[in-house]
Amino acid sequence: MNLEIYAYKCRKCGQLHYPYRMMCKKCHNNEHNAFDPVPLPHKGKLLTFTRLQTLAADFSVPDIQLGIVELENGIRMLGQLQIAKPKSGMAVTGSVGVVRQMGYNTYHGMIFHEAK
Amino acid sequence: MREVYVIGIGITSFSRLEYPLSEIAAYPAMMAMRDCGIEKVDHLYVANMGASRVSGQTALASAVVDTLSLTPAGAEAIENGPASGASAIKQGFMAVASGLHDVVLVTGAERMREVNNLEATDFVATLTHPIAEYIYGTTLPSLAAMFTRLYMDKYGVTSRHLAMVAVKNHDNAMNNPFAHLHQPITLEGILDGPEALTNNPFVSDPLRFFDFCPVSDGAACVILASKEVADKVKRPRVRLAGVGQATDTHAVHEREEPTDLLAVRRAAEQAMKMAGIKPSDVDVAELHDAFTILEIVESEEVGFFKKGEGHLALEKGETRMGGKIPINPSGGLKAKGHPVGATGLGQAHEIVTQLRGEAKKRQVKDAKIGFTCNFGGFGNNVVCLTFMRED
Repeated sequence: MNLEIYAYKCRKCGQLHYPYRMMCKKCHNNEHNAFDPVPLPHKGKLLTFTRLQTLAADFSVPDIQLGIVELENGIRMLGQLQIAKPKSGMAVTGSVGVVRQMGYNTYHGMIFHEAK
Repeated sequence: MREVYVIGIGITSFSRLEYPLSEIAAYPAMMAMRDCGIEKVDHLYVANMGASRVSGQTALASAVVDTLSLTPAGAEAIENGPASGASAIKQGFMAVASGLHDVVLVTGAERMREVNNLEATDFVATLTHPIAEYIYGTTLPSLAAMFTRLYMDKYGVTSRHLAMVAVKNHDNAMNNPFAHLHQPITLEGILDGPEALTNNPFVSDPLRFFDFCPVSDGAACVILASKEVADKVKRPRVRLAGVGQATDTHAVHEREEPTDLLAVRRAAEQAMKMAGIKPSDVDVAELHDAFTILEIVESEEVGFFKKGEGHLALEKGETRMGGKIPINPSGGLKAKGHPVGATGLGQAHEIVTQLRGEAKKRQVKDAKIGFTCNFGGFGNNVVCLTFMRED
């Protein structure tokens, strides 16, 4: 099963939002269920990144890489990276996987790799 | 709107405090009441971020008002992340300015060292976006690191500039008896020398250990009053002349220009406009340097320097004691400490002390106008305040 992360498109003005919000940031459409979910693209450009070495106690690894990626449709998102030598501006591709395990709760998110 | 004056101030050491949170909050309140000779107040605002999560205490304001034997005065807690302190001051300002109350006590307290550093970092991280940031393991240090890399790429800020902020603020804190860190540091020790990587390891690259503020317990208090009350208090007269607040997107990646801190810019504009001043009128400022990069960027966003030139002003020494606009004479969050919910009150305490001319070795000469920037979230909720000495 291919997992997706969704942006939300305003039914009134077409504005895309990620993450989800209740009212459109462009036209302030305040109707209930005002958005259509749209899968986020998996390709994009790495804008910035870091290797974080002080993690919350629920992580069982010594460090994680985080980055902000501008996706093909212009939406930006934060994700984890699995890239040996990240560089600002490099092309990346993402897949949805487990990014955090907190007790019995498993959280999925986007994990980016260097584009081939 | 009525004019609002700061008539009394108090503060604890920012360090590790082995007392119940309600007593930590009450101690500077007692000092502030002694400072101005007031024995009763109309209302209390208690700023705090982590009482329920870190200290296991809810309804903190009820505990504080009773600890101070100030019942039946009204009391409420204000939680607005790391901007809780200045938010509470703003609430107090509105209560007095509107005529609802004549004297209000605003105290802020945090006891973060009750838990270990990892838990404290995770507690603060819960202010990030729960779905788009927090689940990935995002912490405030990691957001600051990614922001720093963007700033380095765009404006030429270097690790040396960041280290210069740390050295300056550690030096300033040496003259502040309430500061958490009384530890002078050098560029040689944290950047250039052979031991630098050991002394100053990477925490979240490009940021290193000395780019971050310590995790502190602490509390501070201001008492605000109407002109009629202030006229009877025999202390140097300081007016809270301007308040400003603005918000930005919860998730940092959504911002149109990721190197802008628009909430800082907007809150500062409001606070200065209300006071009828411009950035060049400010004599002394306390900016929210939880991370060294923030002092540089906030100094631009509040209007002291042009966008992208804060690090150049730092190089010229314009932000150090004796410079054009001394920033963080207290040591800032970087060295004075950052008890999150109390930080805005700690900043106000320092500025009022400076404007009263009572800052001793760290006194900024002839300071008449002071400014604070209390930065909540990663710039998504910011409160700025302008203070003026009136003789």
